[in-house]
Amino acid sequence: MAEIEENIIKFEKVKFSYPGSENIYALNGVDLTVRKGEFLSVIGHNGSGKSTLARLINGLLEADGGKIEVLGMNVAEGKNSLEIRKHVGIVFQNPDNQMVASIVEDDVAFGPENIGIEREEIGRRIEWALKAVGMEKYRTSTPSRLSGGQKQRIAIAGVLAVKPEILVLDESTAMLDPKGRREVIEVVKRLNQEEGMTVILITHFMEEALLADRTVVMNRGEIVLSGTPEEIFENGDKLEAYNLCLPRITGIINTLNENGMNVKNVLRAEELAVSIAENFKSKGIDRAASPKAEDFAIKSDHEFDIDIKNLSFTYSRKSAFATKALKDIDLHIDEGEFFGIIGHTGSGKSTLIQHLNALIKLPQAEKRYRKKRVKKGQPQPVSPSITIGSYDLTQKKCDFKSLRADVGMVFQYPEYQLFAESVFSDVEFGLKNFKKDLSKEQIEEAVRSSIEMVGLDYNEVKDKSPFDLSGGQKRRVAIAGVIVTRPKILILDEPAAGLDPLGKKEICALLHKLHEEWCRTVIIVSHDMDEIAENCTRAVVVSDGRAVACDTPSNLFSDGASMRALGLDVPLTSVICEELSRFDININCNCTVKDFTDKVLEVYGGKNA
Amino acid sequence: MLNDVTFGQYYPVKSFVHKSDPRIKLLALIAYIVALFLAKNFYSLAICFVVVSIAIIFSRVPLGSVLRSIKAIIVLLIFTAILNLFFHGGEHLLASWGIIKIYREAIIFTVFFVFRLFFLVMGSALLTLTTTPVELTDGIESLLTPLKWIRFPVHELALIMSIALRFIPTLIDETNRIISAQKARGADFESGNIFKRIKAIVPVLIPLLISAFRRAEELGDAMDARCYSGSKNRTKYKKLKLSWRDLIITLLFASLITGVVLLNIYADRIFPEIYEFIRLS
Repeated sequence: MAEIEENIIKFEKVKFSYPGSENIYALNGVDLTVRKGEFLSVIGHNGSGKSTLARLINGLLEADGGKIEVLGMNVAEGKNSLEIRKHVGIVFQNPDNQMVASIVEDDVAFGPENIGIEREEIGRRIEWALKAVGMEKYRTSTPSRLSGGQKQRIAIAGVLAVKPEILVLDESTAMLDPKGRREVIEVVKRLNQEEGMTVILITHFMEEALLADRTVVMNRGEIVLSGTPEEIFENGDKLEAYNLCLPRITGIINTLNENGMNVKNVLRAEELAVSIAENFKSKGIDRAASPKAEDFAIKSDHEFDIDIKNLSFTYSRKSAFATKALKDIDLHIDEGEFFGIIGHTGSGKSTLIQHLNALIKLPQAEKRYRKKRVKKGQPQPVSPSITIGSYDLTQKKCDFKSLRADVGMVFQYPEYQLFAESVFSDVEFGLKNFKKDLSKEQIEEAVRSSIEMVGLDYNEVKDKSPFDLSGGQKRRVAIAGVIVTRPKILILDEPAAGLDPLGKKEICALLHKLHEEWCRTVIIVSHDMDEIAENCTRAVVVSDGRAVACDTPSNLFSDGASMRALGLDVPLTSVICEELSRFDININCNCTVKDFTDKVLEVYGGKNA
Repeated sequence: MLNDVTFGQYYPVKSFVHKSDPRIKLLALIAYIVALFLAKNFYSLAICFVVVSIAIIFSRVPLGSVLRSIKAIIVLLIFTAILNLFFHGGEHLLASWGIIKIYREAIIFTVFFVFRLFFLVMGSALLTLTTTPVELTDGIESLLTPLKWIRFPVHELALIMSIALRFIPTLIDETNRIISAQKARGADFESGNIFKRIKAIVPVLIPLLISAFRRAEELGDAMDARCYSGSKNRTKYKKLKLSWRDLIITLLFASLITGVVLLNIYADRIFPEIYEFIRLS
């Protein structure tokens, strides 16, 4: 085992600053060694220097000070750079931006071609690399038709084909849905365990960081904590100071222990359930049930309900590529709900929400629509209908413009839609489009209040270019640009995607504030079941174009098996509840962390045993 | 607005023509175009038609798809045809209105001209219908290889083309997304005069450009990380291989050119009366 002890990467007091901001160090005196065969995870808030670290390893960036050695070679010496890149493969965040070819095998071949490998050997490497990521069936496919997780696995294969010893993943899972993320992480774990590859996993997801042998926490360009994941997550309060969150499970354990229980500090739901059961047992409780959960109650005037009936939709109907995106959806959303839409990428969620503000119009509302004559003896075909408040979306005469002002829509990664020269004019864009007769003062007032609503300082940002803001701020500006018309319904597609844990928390808080003060109904599309469980009054599960189930989170997730059968996750709390029920302990919570811990403590306190 | 996710007009079936080497198809197209322009009479034109028909039959592409490509040049075709018809001189006057005079020769020439252009478009359409853009790029790269001798950056050009092809669907998706997002914020792309419409595009164009630059930067990093350092010491995985199909195609098009040349010379010996009537001056 002497080999394992070999240090494969060595950082000594490395400093780095980006050109243009020389006095702000992205890395400030970093010391780090990585052993051969190690699985290292790096966590840290946005801008903590994680990605800079990755790019320094293979010389994409050059350090200002200190020394970096990879496999005994000094990265600073120019002649080493190609040799180092052969041994260090990096997979980046966006799978789309890493592919050079329109056919999978050509793309995987790109790396080996660059280093002058023989043709036959390249063929063997493609086969091996695609097999290693489980994509051998897709050798001649087109990347643009693959899912995010599949694309990212191709990107990994492309890096593997060069046969690196070190694999660096720079937030490679940030843009994927849970399924894609699982696929990628499994591949990485296998490579580490079976091929003995050294892995450096840079991530926002605390749950992923747990898989590593060792975790390093970065804050403002410095390494502030280092140790096994268990050691790291014991320092809960410290992590929060570094703008990070605890994994949810650690949060639950802490709450339980603060209230008199003695639960082991574990990282898996099953182990936690065992530990809770042991706690109960030592108190003589071997059978327990908490009272039925109370769901969020909503107060509603039902003036702006959404009602969808028989909604089906087919893309490129007349071509050879026709795909049915929606099949017979019936859905009713009450005014006042915080509604969730759950489903995989490609399940039809986006198509569904685009119907709600008539970005996709119902066929009857199209200008060219004519009623089809029905042959005798055949039943009248059912036509889809949508009503939103007083808007009837089946009518050609429906005022679609004011509908769009009333139903605000925030797309995925809305910051990529910013375009104006100042924050002010970007936010006012929508307002000016919808309401032509506003006075200058009225516009200014509306823009000011919406910028303040999203938690930014109006006077500070209004004249700035939106492109000079940080990622989280950009997203806030983009949301401000939608809520400036004070929509009654706000729809958000993956509002927290790609943000760091703190950013996610802040966005969720913002949505609740919006829900309470401005928009009666909030609808979010999300992959994150915990996010749905924590926030939503009800949620619909969309799978393969159908609305499979629509219920409160507690009912939805009580049947964990059927959710998993659809390839979806189950929130942590309901996993623990499931495990607990094996010990005859039935906790009926509404799936939020708070309710779960309250119920567990209630049982533990013996009140309802 | 941009509903078509697929680009180019590749028609996905398996056929003799689909399977043959893109280089040979490109060369065959060039030969075919040369033959069309060498053709000096209807007989030569006719064998061009015979050859392209054979190719279409063996490509298993429906005739409709081939003919649809004419749409792109229909206006040009009609416009030049009319000019030719009215202003091409000749000996046998058929009708005249003021300065407009129509001669028999003009009619014959116009028909000849229209057919020639028509066949030309059919041939090129057949190539793009049976060859994927990727194959075309590979073929062009391979055909241009001799230019490396004069330091022409063949490999770089091919890489640029292949990356461009790779990003077309991505950028179309992105454009659609941005259009939807701005529409949701009340942007109106469908009404107003031309200036208003151009102004309406700005909120789409700027985010699109910014994202394209961001993508380019990330792609550059990813290529660097995958050891890209120009065409030096680079090998190529994909090699195009010739097969018996390509031999047949080569023979067919070689005989086409020979046939056209022979018919140009000896046309007057075949049905001399007819030839005299449809002869181009």
